[in-house]
Amino acid sequence: MSRPGAAMRVGSSLTTADVARSTIVIAVVLVIQHTLLDSVRVGGAHPDLMLLLPVAAGYAAGPDRGAVFGFIAGLVADLFLPTPYGLSALVGCLLGYATGMATRGLVRSSWWLPPVVAAAATAAGMGTYAILGAVLGDPGMLKTYLVPALVVGTPSAALLAVPVLRFVAWAVPDPRPGHGAVAGGGGTR
Amino acid sequence: MTIGLLVLASIAIITLDYRGHAHGVISGVKRGAHDAFSPLQRGVDAIARPVGSFLSGAVHGGDLEAQNAKLRRENGALQRQILINQSTRNSLRALQRLDKLPWVGATPTVTAQVTALGPSDFAATVDLDKGSTSGVAVGMPVVGGAGLVGQVTLVWSSGCTVRLVTDVNSSVGVRFGRQGNLALVQGSGLGRNLAANLIAPGTTLHKGEVFTTSGLQHAQYPPDIPVASVTSFSSTPSATQETVWARPLADLAVLQYVDVLQWQPSP
Repeated sequence: MSRPGAAMRVGSSLTTADVARSTIVIAVVLVIQHTLLDSVRVGGAHPDLMLLLPVAAGYAAGPDRGAVFGFIAGLVADLFLPTPYGLSALVGCLLGYATGMATRGLVRSSWWLPPVVAAAATAAGMGTYAILGAVLGDPGMLKTYLVPALVVGTPSAALLAVPVLRFVAWAVPDPRPGHGAVAGGGGTR
Repeated sequence: MTIGLLVLASIAIITLDYRGHAHGVISGVKRGAHDAFSPLQRGVDAIARPVGSFLSGAVHGGDLEAQNAKLRRENGALQRQILINQSTRNSLRALQRLDKLPWVGATPTVTAQVTALGPSDFAATVDLDKGSTSGVAVGMPVVGGAGLVGQVTLVWSSGCTVRLVTDVNSSVGVRFGRQGNLALVQGSGLGRNLAANLIAPGTTLHKGEVFTTSGLQHAQYPPDIPVASVTSFSSTPSATQETVWARPLADLAVLQYVDVLQWQPSP
């Protein structure tokens, strides 16, 4: 039996403790999304925490971990969505990777950075999701549903960014030395 | 390297779901996930609903909500009956001309409660609390309020997902007017009116005209279910069809109880 602090390594960087914490985060966010946030509807759209997960993972842990976390979170989210299976996984891994790449050089001491990153990345993720959906034969995702989703999803992502980011950062810390800062809540590492 | 592999894996999964034999496997996994998640969802919902009612300022909000929903459902059923009667009279006139018997609406139903609004911002769906153990199957029509609500698209043991008539991928073949004109009513997104297509310019229409399901051969719905009423129509000299908008007769914004018709489209 290994102690949590000396957790067994899976692959080159993830530990079993990381995997366990990530599973908890995805499960808790999934429950919050489907039991509470799905009912918070404005103009037919609601806040989307599941899309915020890869953004938070990319911001907190860098592009590679963000991509893996986004892929897995997307696969889980897709189980409950009527859209093509795998679409959220594709968007999730791209979003986690892109967020990680775009923010890795930023100084993370500003309180406003996480909300701005969350809003911008969520908007980009929704746009990508709608475009890929249209390519896969559902043009209504782009023509009809994208605008209400953006109007509701972008500001709600900004509002929820800090708590989600802290929760995800607990599960997937940045492996790079000197990184792993979760700004906007009081400091840097 | 990692991102490349993940993108390839995602594309492979999407392709398998779309074109491969894995679609059945993926649907099975989705059903399993819903079965596992439903009890948890109901538990949290039971806790969260009274909190929401309290926050909305209603001391007895839960009771009033349930009573209101019940009355709304009864009112909707009565309205639907009136509209069905109107439609039946139209059908009867047509059938007397054709000397055929009308379709009789003796289809058994399963009453279900809406448990969740659609989980996706990119599709107009709702989840119900009745599934395969109650006799619900994919393809069955769902009615509520005064008219058609949608069609069952995914079923698990204790629940199902219904695609609403307002979803952009929803198309319903309808009939209207004394001549029994045909049209195709298509969704334009949640909370929006339906677009009625394939109506020739100059066709006699009036505001409030009711579209009912056509029930033609291989139709997705049985005949004579009220779907929508005309709110506006217009045409231009060069148009190949009338531009017609219609409001769904079922009040999709406040759905709580619905009936699933145990009728399936012919293959």
